[in-house]
Amino acid sequence: MNRPGLPPLPRRLSAPAVHAPARVPGQAAVRSQVLENGLKIIVWSDHSIPSVALHNWVRVGSRNEVPGLTGLAHFFEHMMFNGTARHGAGEFDRLMEAQGGSNNAFTCDDVTVYQDWFPRGALDLVFELEADRIQGLSLDPALIESERGVVHSERLLRVEDNNAGYLSEQVQAEAFLVHPYRFPTIGLPADIKSWTAQDLWAFYRTYYAPNNQTIVLVGDVSHEEAFALARRHLAKLPRQPQPPAILVREPEQLGERRVVVRRAAQMALLQYAYKAPAAADPLGPALNLLLTALTDGNASRLHRLLVEQRMIAQDVAAEWHQGFDPSLCWFWFTLAEGVDPHTARDLIDAELAGIAAAGIDAADLQRAGNLNAAAFWKQLATIDGKAHLLGEFEALRGGWQQLFQAPARHAEVTREQIAAAARLLLNPRRRTVGMLLPQAQGES
Amino acid sequence: MKSSIARIVELHSRSFGVPAHERIVLPNGLTLLIVPRRELPLVAFQLLLRGGALGDPVGRAGVASLTAGLLDKGAGERDAAAFAHSVEGAGGSFAASAGPECISVSGQFLAHDQELMLELLADAVMAPRFAAAEFARQRLRQIGHIRSLKDSDPSELLSQYGRGLLFRDHPYGQPATGGEDSLQAITLRDVIAYHRAHIGADGAALVLAGDIDAAWLKVQVTRRFGAWGPAAAALPAVAPTVKLRRRRVLLVDAPGSAQSYFWLGATGLDRAYPRRAALDLVNSLFGGRFTSLLNTELRIRTGLSYGAGSGFTRGRVAGEFAIRSYAETRHTVRAIDLALKTLAGLKRAGISQAMLDSARSYVVGQYPMNLETAADWAAQLAELELYGLDAGYIEGYGPALRRASLQDAREVIDQAFPLGRQLALVVIGDAAQVRARLERYGPVQQLALAAGSFT
Repeated sequence: MNRPGLPPLPRRLSAPAVHAPARVPGQAAVRSQVLENGLKIIVWSDHSIPSVALHNWVRVGSRNEVPGLTGLAHFFEHMMFNGTARHGAGEFDRLMEAQGGSNNAFTCDDVTVYQDWFPRGALDLVFELEADRIQGLSLDPALIESERGVVHSERLLRVEDNNAGYLSEQVQAEAFLVHPYRFPTIGLPADIKSWTAQDLWAFYRTYYAPNNQTIVLVGDVSHEEAFALARRHLAKLPRQPQPPAILVREPEQLGERRVVVRRAAQMALLQYAYKAPAAADPLGPALNLLLTALTDGNASRLHRLLVEQRMIAQDVAAEWHQGFDPSLCWFWFTLAEGVDPHTARDLIDAELAGIAAAGIDAADLQRAGNLNAAAFWKQLATIDGKAHLLGEFEALRGGWQQLFQAPARHAEVTREQIAAAARLLLNPRRRTVGMLLPQAQGES
Repeated sequence: MKSSIARIVELHSRSFGVPAHERIVLPNGLTLLIVPRRELPLVAFQLLLRGGALGDPVGRAGVASLTAGLLDKGAGERDAAAFAHSVEGAGGSFAASAGPECISVSGQFLAHDQELMLELLADAVMAPRFAAAEFARQRLRQIGHIRSLKDSDPSELLSQYGRGLLFRDHPYGQPATGGEDSLQAITLRDVIAYHRAHIGADGAALVLAGDIDAAWLKVQVTRRFGAWGPAAAALPAVAPTVKLRRRRVLLVDAPGSAQSYFWLGATGLDRAYPRRAALDLVNSLFGGRFTSLLNTELRIRTGLSYGAGSGFTRGRVAGEFAIRSYAETRHTVRAIDLALKTLAGLKRAGISQAMLDSARSYVVGQYPMNLETAADWAAQLAELELYGLDAGYIEGYGPALRRASLQDAREVIDQAFPLGRQLALVVIGDAAQVRARLERYGPVQQLALAAGSFT
């Protein structure tokens, strides 16, 4: 049930009975408060280890970008570590590490999330550092230039030297006519080279408002202590005008789109991107279970057919990108050596058409339900997993309280609902198909 | 901000304990560890089978890996599809893979399915079917996996190339995953022979952790695994590795590659190395955290790379120390020189007391999050069994971190971090652009990325 959308870009370097849903422990240990300036704090007090995870969810991502400035949200995330008026360049990391903390951040289409993991003794420092960079960033011109190089290297790693990443970028661009979901979060090469300090300042002032952020704390901290720290360090940030709403609505897709890329490769790739609903859509649980039934595990429908029985694929995977607006549901197929992607497409399409027509059987539903429940429990086993789930439900799915309903919501899903989700999703007219065909060296 | 480093270390010394657990050895030699932890309705298992790729016949790198991959592709009463249905139908996970020194089988089930879990695990290791069709599929998939990494993430293969260059014919030089050619040469008979020779109760350690009843589990494990016999062959021996005296350079040609991905490695340390705490502190300063010397030079100060780091792989004998990073093709030499200069700087100037104190806080502060779940503990305790270490390895770690002095750090730097001439260098990049410029590091051997072997 936690399908985090397109792989976010981290700042740094993975037939028993259907079980009745267990009650999710911990709801009583979670409390939230909203400061006068609109900043919301959610705290899950959990003393199992002497550590704390703090995540700051900022409601800005590449969805808020415009042509010519793609990649700005992600680049800005990098700059958030590069110094403030109070703490010079590098101090953020040096101070945090010297008190036992580590950190990271990721940016995706809809949000930017900053994460700190530290011993409880560093609580005051971490709040001080977070409050400081939300309001006092320096944006030193020399550091902007050097960080451009870092992000350029990150792009080469993930896109130019990565066939799967390269094809996905092309498919994503083709799938949307007008919505900013067409932009790659890492940014286009020319944009990475050209954004200016003025662009960054405008971005900072617009989106890094307290009323546009939610801070989640999980771990060895009491509610009172966490709220007091939040008031002390964060209450003074001035509320700002609400960032402009993204009003762009992608028009209905009326026919299949195709992208064919030829590149040096040993294996052909095939990718499908279907138009899919937004994160908060009531169809969510059914869609999650449908995808689990289709591609998670060796017994999943597509793995069984394509990898085991017909041996035409090396791997299959699927992911519903869950955002504020309707986005995409991806299927990725790494084809076995020598397999023609057109042949693979015909076979896959026949299978998907069957699923759209008839849904899945009871055994597949039970398997999907149990796998989904187990994944949920596994994520709840760590303070970081809890922090991520709270943030995700708060930002994208109608509030953190929904987290505690998630197992029951998934357990209620019927085969009829999955069939309805399959009919809606697996419509070839609402998809973009990408193929990467191997090209011999020197061929052009 | 008053919080002193000493206070933080004090606060967390309680984290360096080992959770209450039971350890028993069954009459057939199987070591069983039971770790009750009841926070969530989950049970994790970790079964280590000693031997791993050390048991691969010469020229057949990948036999242990293929054997591991086939354990759940049909076993006992179930064929591959039925086995997968049983695991996933219960919401479980089940995975097996081979490393240089053991095969590791691990997974997690909901607590009320632990009887099923034990049945599947016992079948997988004691009664795998090794069907010919599954063997052919698995071999093809493992070859395909290497090829797809070459297409979409070649830097993931640096250590296979690096260990091959550094250790050559020593077993540590053979890729545990196998190479494309060596996998192709393996037959089903090799797999069956490996299973008979190297997989048995006497070489196995099973850890069960989570929401469990110890008394009930002991009975169940004895019933399911009691009849498991010993491995037919002795545990494979492993000769000591040696340090290089002259630098070696391997260029893996990836035409058109936008960046050069590089690995600088040297023979390092074994698992019994006594200054583990000081080693972890120095490595975190050199290449193990964001502000490390390497990342500061290659990323923060110059913007050459998205990242740079270093680490030690410590086995039964000395494994490798390795630095990894990458940079745009035109900056290849500048980035490699900077990594070498940073290493030389560490050897020459050492570290300061302030750096040591910062690293101490960092390692101590991050430690509890590495051993947070039942599955984490299952993996950790199994690893101790593999190397014959006891709880003191963990319980002594906190005090050792606290005690580690600048003098200890100096000794670690002298003993563990290599001189420039002891390094092996691997570069995956566009040979047409970088070959001539790599000659300065030593005679360059060249291999095509598409070649079927890592050496």
